[in-house]
Amino acid sequence: MKRLQILIGKIIVKMLHLMKRNAGNLPGIVLWHISRHKAVSMFKVDCPIIAVTGTNGKTSVTNCIAQLFERSGKKIITNREGNNLDTGICSLLLRHCDMKGKVKADYLILETDESHVPVVYSQLKLDTLIVLDFFRDQLDRNGEMETLIQKINGFCKTFNGNLILNGDDPNTARLGRANPGNKNVKYFHAEPYAYATNTVFEASEGRFCPFCGETLVYDYYQYSHIGKFHCPKCGFGNYEPYMTASGIDLDKPVFTAGGHEYSPKLNSIYNVYNMTAVAAAAKLYNIKQDIVDGVISSYTVKNGRMESFMLGDRKTTLNLAKNPVGANMTLRVMNEMKGEKELLFVLNDNVADGLDVSWIWDINFSIFERVTRVVTSGTRAYDIAVRIKCSGYDQSNIVVRPDLDKAVEELAKTPGRKFVIANYTAVQPTRAALKRYISRNGGKTE
Amino acid sequence: MSRIKILHMYADMLDLYGDSGNMEVFSYRCKMRGIECEIDKYSIDSPEPDFSTYDLIYIGGGADLEQQHISADLLKCREGIAKAYKDGVFLFLICGGYQLMGKYYRDADGNDIPGLGLFDYYTVAPNSRRKRCIGNIVIRTNITGKAVDVLGFENHGGQTQGVKTPFGEVLYGNGNCSKSQAEGYTEKNVIATYLHGPCLSKNPEITDYMIEYCLTRQNGEKTALKPLDDKLETDCRKVMLQRLLKK
Repeated sequence: MKRLQILIGKIIVKMLHLMKRNAGNLPGIVLWHISRHKAVSMFKVDCPIIAVTGTNGKTSVTNCIAQLFERSGKKIITNREGNNLDTGICSLLLRHCDMKGKVKADYLILETDESHVPVVYSQLKLDTLIVLDFFRDQLDRNGEMETLIQKINGFCKTFNGNLILNGDDPNTARLGRANPGNKNVKYFHAEPYAYATNTVFEASEGRFCPFCGETLVYDYYQYSHIGKFHCPKCGFGNYEPYMTASGIDLDKPVFTAGGHEYSPKLNSIYNVYNMTAVAAAAKLYNIKQDIVDGVISSYTVKNGRMESFMLGDRKTTLNLAKNPVGANMTLRVMNEMKGEKELLFVLNDNVADGLDVSWIWDINFSIFERVTRVVTSGTRAYDIAVRIKCSGYDQSNIVVRPDLDKAVEELAKTPGRKFVIANYTAVQPTRAALKRYISRNGGKTE
Repeated sequence: MSRIKILHMYADMLDLYGDSGNMEVFSYRCKMRGIECEIDKYSIDSPEPDFSTYDLIYIGGGADLEQQHISADLLKCREGIAKAYKDGVFLFLICGGYQLMGKYYRDADGNDIPGLGLFDYYTVAPNSRRKRCIGNIVIRTNITGKAVDVLGFENHGGQTQGVKTPFGEVLYGNGNCSKSQAEGYTEKNVIATYLHGPCLSKNPEITDYMIEYCLTRQNGEKTALKPLDDKLETDCRKVMLQRLLKK
């Protein structure tokens, strides 16, 4: 039966390839049904599996860890395209297994959706789980954040493998107590950077100790609820970090982790946290220092995460914002930049975005400085326009263009610096619209 | 200059789906009319305020965990809130705030979280945390004296029963219970609803109803509001109502 199922799966992959379709998810969905939801258990994996999960940063950290092993000459299998649900992982393994379902590699490095961690790794033995952060994101799909954390916490209760946790996020650090018998819990941490604050700056969660209910005390906040915290009553948060980032200077940008200085390409505090997680994984697996250097200093992204475009001679930065944290970060970058600028905000509410758009009310637009005009677009163009208006921004400077091509044209009409924020399903169409504008009117992509 | 005093309770704990945005919309619409809007915050362990000195009391929604935290504290305020309500202070309650003003909230594990019992309704969460009423919602209310379609986003497990005077009739979405006809609870000085979004961002008429209520109560005579330029809000509503209500 198992062999038959794998055969069917492989035939589907082949057919999709012949039809020149992406086989990212469909074969897995079919297999998931015929195997009665136990699709992943059909595979035989002998090598160590490293899983990366969390709300923000999964793709970056997964790609970097994959590179660590690749550059060390190992054969790895990884879901680069970000198909991170059980069906996506199943499709990936289908493409890489033999007819008996045996997967041959030195390491599997798998970006895994937060809510799918227990499902997938109750069927596959996990060597290391890396948990980056938990933010409000697509809340309506997952019910409530607490339910989600409980799910992963339940998995961690019986997990004895390596658990690498963001020690500066109470939502992830608490997982370290799920299994008191696990001696392989490791925390990463970052010392304050120039824009760290003493009070919480953006709407956040996790203000109370999950163990005793006491209000958590923060030495500093880096962004949102990420920062050095502890519980004055029960001591939650007092741990010895396994990897610490210090000397963070984002202007250069440069930071030190594990006593070694790195010069990353991306200059955000997010990236420092992501790379600190990567450095922790590198330490755990004894990766050579020159390889770690190479990966961390060269890592950059071209998927709408701080991506540059020239619309004619107008410098434009596009950033994906799936949640208020991401959007607030872009607004800060915008504000720290001198001179006047204009913003295009593209907001969709497709299924993958989570249908609900109320998260835009947790974006702090009142900090706008020298923003001379705002264009809005997407399936919820008017919602974001109303939101920005109610923050006190003059509505005569807001232009609504639900059609993306028209929105980009509107943005490029005036001279000066441009910023574009797009949410999850909006980011690729926005990139495409920017590129169409450039091919018609000149300019260049990064 | 007119002035409206608001007490925003548990703002630091009950703030799901942009609920705090309601206060931003409320003060924006006051400010555009030259009405001063003063918002005081109250949270666990704050000294007990004189609830009756406010024009409006606002409570948002939260997860089960937060609701347990505040229930005990809220009970301490019972007398003060009940008096304010009887005096005619406006109560604007979203989701968790709505549930906690009823008799009790029974959570998914069967534990009863006592409510203030200001109103007769009660709420029971289903045993499975997966069964939730989630999605866009449109209801029709007559609170302003004419039919107004109210747009929002609901996400609640709790099923609220025993409501005699609902806020509106459900045109799209779930309402008080799964696939129910009625949504929320209302009296002339109470709007209690599951609508997030935040609720007021897409429903300027509801915001204005509350502002007008507060000023009329202060002045002892009907006080009309200066109309505002609501083109963006109107277009926003048009797009969503068309999408949700067309069959």
